[in-house]
Amino acid sequence: MINAVLVFNNSGQPRLTKFYTQLDTAVQQRLISEIFSLVSNRPATACNFLPLPPLLAPPPNAQKSSQPQPIHTDTPSLVTYRHYATLYFILISTSTESPLALLDLIQVFVESLDRLFENVCELDLIFNFETLHAALGEMIVGGVVVETNLDTIVSGVRTQGKVARRPVNDSRGGSSSGGVFGVLGRGEVFSGR
Amino acid sequence: MFEKSLYDLIRGLRNHKGNERQYIQDSVRECRREIKSQDMDLKATALLKLTYLEMFGYDMSWASFNVLEVMSSPKYLLKRVGYLAAVQSFRADTEVLMLAENLLKKDLMSVTPAIIGLPLGAVPHVINPTMANSLLSDLLPRLSHSQVSIRKKTVVTLYRLAVVYPETLRPAWPKIKERLLDEQEDPSVTAAVVNVVCELGWRRPQDFLPLAPRLFEILVEGKNNWMAIKVIKLFATLTPLEPRLVKKLLPALTNIIKTTMAMSLLYECIDGIVQGGILDSVQGTAEGDEVARLCVSKLRGMLTVERDPNLKYVALLAFQKIVKSHPDLVNAHHDVVLECIDDEDISIRACALDLAGGMVDGENIMTIVDRLVKQLLTAPINAPEDDPKNDRVRNDGMLAVADSDGEDPETSLQAAENITQQAIPLPLEFRNLVIRRILDMCSRDTFANITDDFEWYLRVLLSLVKACPPPSPSSIVEDDVSKEIGNQLLNVGVRVRSMRQEATKAAESLVLLENRGQLFPESSTGGQGVLNDAAWLVGEYSEYLRDPSAVLSSLVHSSSTLLPAETLITYVQAIPKVLGAIGKVQVSPWTEARRSRMSLLLGRASYFLDGLKTHPDLEVQERSVEYLELIKLISEAVLAQAEGTDQPILEAPLLLTQALPSLHSGMELNPVAPAAQRKVTIPEALELEKPIHEDLSSLLIEHFEQDVDTVGEYRSFYFEKERRRLDAVTAAERLEPPKLEVSSYQNSSDEGDSDTKRRQQLERQEKYRDDPFYIGGARGSGTSTPIHDILKANNGDQVDIDAIPIMDLDLTERSDAEPSSRNGQSLTSTRRKPKRDIQILGDENLEDADAGSVDTPRLSSVPSHLDRSKKSALLQVDSSGLGSFSLLGNQGNQLYIEQREAEEKALREIERLRLEMERASIRVQDHVGPPEGTIVRKKKKSKVAKDLASEGTEEVKKKKKKKKKTKAATPMEGMGQQAAQEDSLAPTTKVKKKRRQVAFEEPS
Repeated sequence: MINAVLVFNNSGQPRLTKFYTQLDTAVQQRLISEIFSLVSNRPATACNFLPLPPLLAPPPNAQKSSQPQPIHTDTPSLVTYRHYATLYFILISTSTESPLALLDLIQVFVESLDRLFENVCELDLIFNFETLHAALGEMIVGGVVVETNLDTIVSGVRTQGKVARRPVNDSRGGSSSGGVFGVLGRGEVFSGR
Repeated sequence: MFEKSLYDLIRGLRNHKGNERQYIQDSVRECRREIKSQDMDLKATALLKLTYLEMFGYDMSWASFNVLEVMSSPKYLLKRVGYLAAVQSFRADTEVLMLAENLLKKDLMSVTPAIIGLPLGAVPHVINPTMANSLLSDLLPRLSHSQVSIRKKTVVTLYRLAVVYPETLRPAWPKIKERLLDEQEDPSVTAAVVNVVCELGWRRPQDFLPLAPRLFEILVEGKNNWMAIKVIKLFATLTPLEPRLVKKLLPALTNIIKTTMAMSLLYECIDGIVQGGILDSVQGTAEGDEVARLCVSKLRGMLTVERDPNLKYVALLAFQKIVKSHPDLVNAHHDVVLECIDDEDISIRACALDLAGGMVDGENIMTIVDRLVKQLLTAPINAPEDDPKNDRVRNDGMLAVADSDGEDPETSLQAAENITQQAIPLPLEFRNLVIRRILDMCSRDTFANITDDFEWYLRVLLSLVKACPPPSPSSIVEDDVSKEIGNQLLNVGVRVRSMRQEATKAAESLVLLENRGQLFPESSTGGQGVLNDAAWLVGEYSEYLRDPSAVLSSLVHSSSTLLPAETLITYVQAIPKVLGAIGKVQVSPWTEARRSRMSLLLGRASYFLDGLKTHPDLEVQERSVEYLELIKLISEAVLAQAEGTDQPILEAPLLLTQALPSLHSGMELNPVAPAAQRKVTIPEALELEKPIHEDLSSLLIEHFEQDVDTVGEYRSFYFEKERRRLDAVTAAERLEPPKLEVSSYQNSSDEGDSDTKRRQQLERQEKYRDDPFYIGGARGSGTSTPIHDILKANNGDQVDIDAIPIMDLDLTERSDAEPSSRNGQSLTSTRRKPKRDIQILGDENLEDADAGSVDTPRLSSVPSHLDRSKKSALLQVDSSGLGSFSLLGNQGNQLYIEQREAEEKALREIERLRLEMERASIRVQDHVGPPEGTIVRKKKKSKVAKDLASEGTEEVKKKKKKKKKTKAATPMEGMGQQAAQEDSLAPTTKVKKKRRQVAFEEPS
């Protein structure tokens, strides 16, 4: 299952935090900070899987136990991220999730945001963080993925209410920041990487 | 004041760059005010702002009651704000949680699908077992709701209920299964069910075998790749239980591997085949060979053909799983795996490193290890994670900064993922990891992989010392990897007899000071931990040393005193051993030159040890004092020979040639199994509990008092002081006579009376002259040895080692056996030595000790570590309760059903009592209560919450009565009133029952 979804920008400012377990606020911040320092030091050519941050790393003695481990455990073991322009999208999950599929899941999330906001950028997410949560809520409930279809997600959010565009006077440079959307395929997202 | 929307808050934040903290504090204060407002919109806005700030770590737990208020708003948009706030801020200890229960129930029953969605999304975040029990009946009907989105969310919510309350599955599982088996069901719902089944499946795979046909159908027909991946993951846990599945599954999986366009699905197919043990079960057959070849070649393709680092990473993960059961399959591709060891991506490197550890054997160990060593020596040391500016929380806490400088938050996220090029440094952590992995590969199963070339291994160890990262200041000392290198050196020296000489020479080169710059990392203090074991080796096997005098000079060099106490202890112990080796050498006659040289060495050793007498570490003190006396004795014996001037001296003093070496000769020290030590029985006569003397403390006091008596006029001074701190003084301190000469406060007190002092000193000296343990005073202590005086006169205060003439020792005998120093030899040289029969010592054990039981008792002695590993990790959702819950059949359920019936009966009884009480309360109010709505007193809402939590007392009752008059101010008040009625009339009613009755009824 998915244990947490995090979105923060290039300077580590959180834009969305969703923990599927109850976690102390201070620990949440600590974890965000640890993951940020891990992720911000990675070159873009590196793969999209992070080593476990110190807070999540198993105690050093744990792996030495000789008894055979079951295939899966409840322990979060996978930190997947993707970096889009100014934002990092992070998924923390257990081994029951497929690493490559999680990368696609982030892509679906971003694409659905793009549809909702029409050429989404960080400002949209800052000013509409309720919508951001709503979109996530259409995809993941309680750490389990409920939907991966772009259209269903978008229409699910739209039925909950009108999605506001970001205020025009806040946009620096107007429409100059033209989205380069279209490079990525639409529709069936799990069609192959 | 003009009220702010979330939008205003964010804009304000962005306009207060550099002063965010103050701005946020002001805003929070504002929110505190606004949230108490009666205006629901204002309240909700304040809550939304708080929720936004919570993201940056600003606590909002104080607002939990207000969250509840907003949640209960009839307006959907406000309700949504409340639910979001609840999800983000409610914790396990949030008290108002139990008040939310009825609200959740009510919203689940709503006719508006959007409203049902809110509790469905929120319940997984706030659920606890009691709440699960009560919500279950409301959730179950939602499984057949007309809307797809409601059905699929309900399935998942039921799963999270089951995690905290496994009994959920008893009524819920048949219905969930129904959704899965229904072929007309919407694919979204089926996918959700599959996701849940996959999560449940690995806990109790046997319960899911009956579903296999349907799951197989989904796998073959389904067009949803996410779902297919989940089904494969589930099958991987089922195949070990049902071998017949393999036959059915294999063609389907092979087909997907060959046809699918999705790399993720392809990878999961391979992963499923590996994890499901399918490779094992079809091994040997033509089909099995084919599938193995197919999988491995696809993985190889991921490593080489595609330039995608993600594919590389997951392919290595898959290889890691294969290598455990089929190392030969992976070994065939070790070329590409080794490529990844040098990959620029640190995650891929780490993965390849793990894999290398798994596939290493006697054949390829040299190639792998040499490659790793080369990487360590060439990469620059860098530790980006130590960069303090990356750690914002530690510095100043997280702040809601508007946005980063110079970056455009308007950049479209869809602009391709960032690409920047920068070199990868080798972080310290990774260095440690590599070194540990090398040591592990080489030493596994008592050097099973190193068949004959231990010289190579010693060279590797030496170069690892060079590659050692500096010990990180934050980590504990035990983490220093150089200690582990030293331990390996020690192991080779002790276990491999034929290599003992080589190992000792390696240790010698490490101990020698002049090699420090060459063998140890430049410009860092890394690798020092190796000195401990190296010093032990040069001491214990000092007969193999190339140049014992040089070793001794390095050991007693003044810089050695700066070493950690642990190492210094070994150093002190090694000094007499090396001295003994020098003295024992009989190759050259005992000439005057040798004699003076010997006395020089002895003098330097005693000078060094003398300096350690006051070392803060007790063990260092004790050992140095012990050996100091011995060395001084020998030194005197050597000097005594000089007094008979003209006589040619024929023999060295026996003390040097016989007594000193014999201290450390005798039985050889062999490796002992960790458990063997504890099997040595304690002699019956040994009593550790019994005090040495019945009245030790009074004896000591007595002794002390006598002692003080001799000091005459200072008697009272010491007497009083000592008496005060007697209890705190350690035994070791008490056993020592007070060091009068070194105490500074004393000197200041008697400066004018030096005569008395001298006289007293003489008296003391006289008294202790024959006491061998007395080391105070001027007599014979290290600083005043004759040899020291000579040195001091010649060289000044600082002994200049290089200036001391050193006579060459004739070591021809030795150097015949040993061709040349290996320090300079190239690391990459892997020339094979002719095979030698090398005997490696295993651990020694007591006869009845079986090696298998070694670890168990040892583990039990360190329970703290075990406890830590058992403790659930952060973020973990503990689903272990599901493991013991059977989904099949009803055996053993009789008890549960009976219990359930009893519970229901009790509930009915409570309900009846409640109705009675309600009626009674109405009667009471008719008599006593004032007419409604006459007095309006505004109550603090938080008060209501507190009152609800407490048992109904007389005081509470009064307050609640008043509350009644404020009826209809907010819906919450009505709730308080109802609870108050119960409290007042039945104070003995259990809290649980009360909670059940609390309702979020709208005022009518």
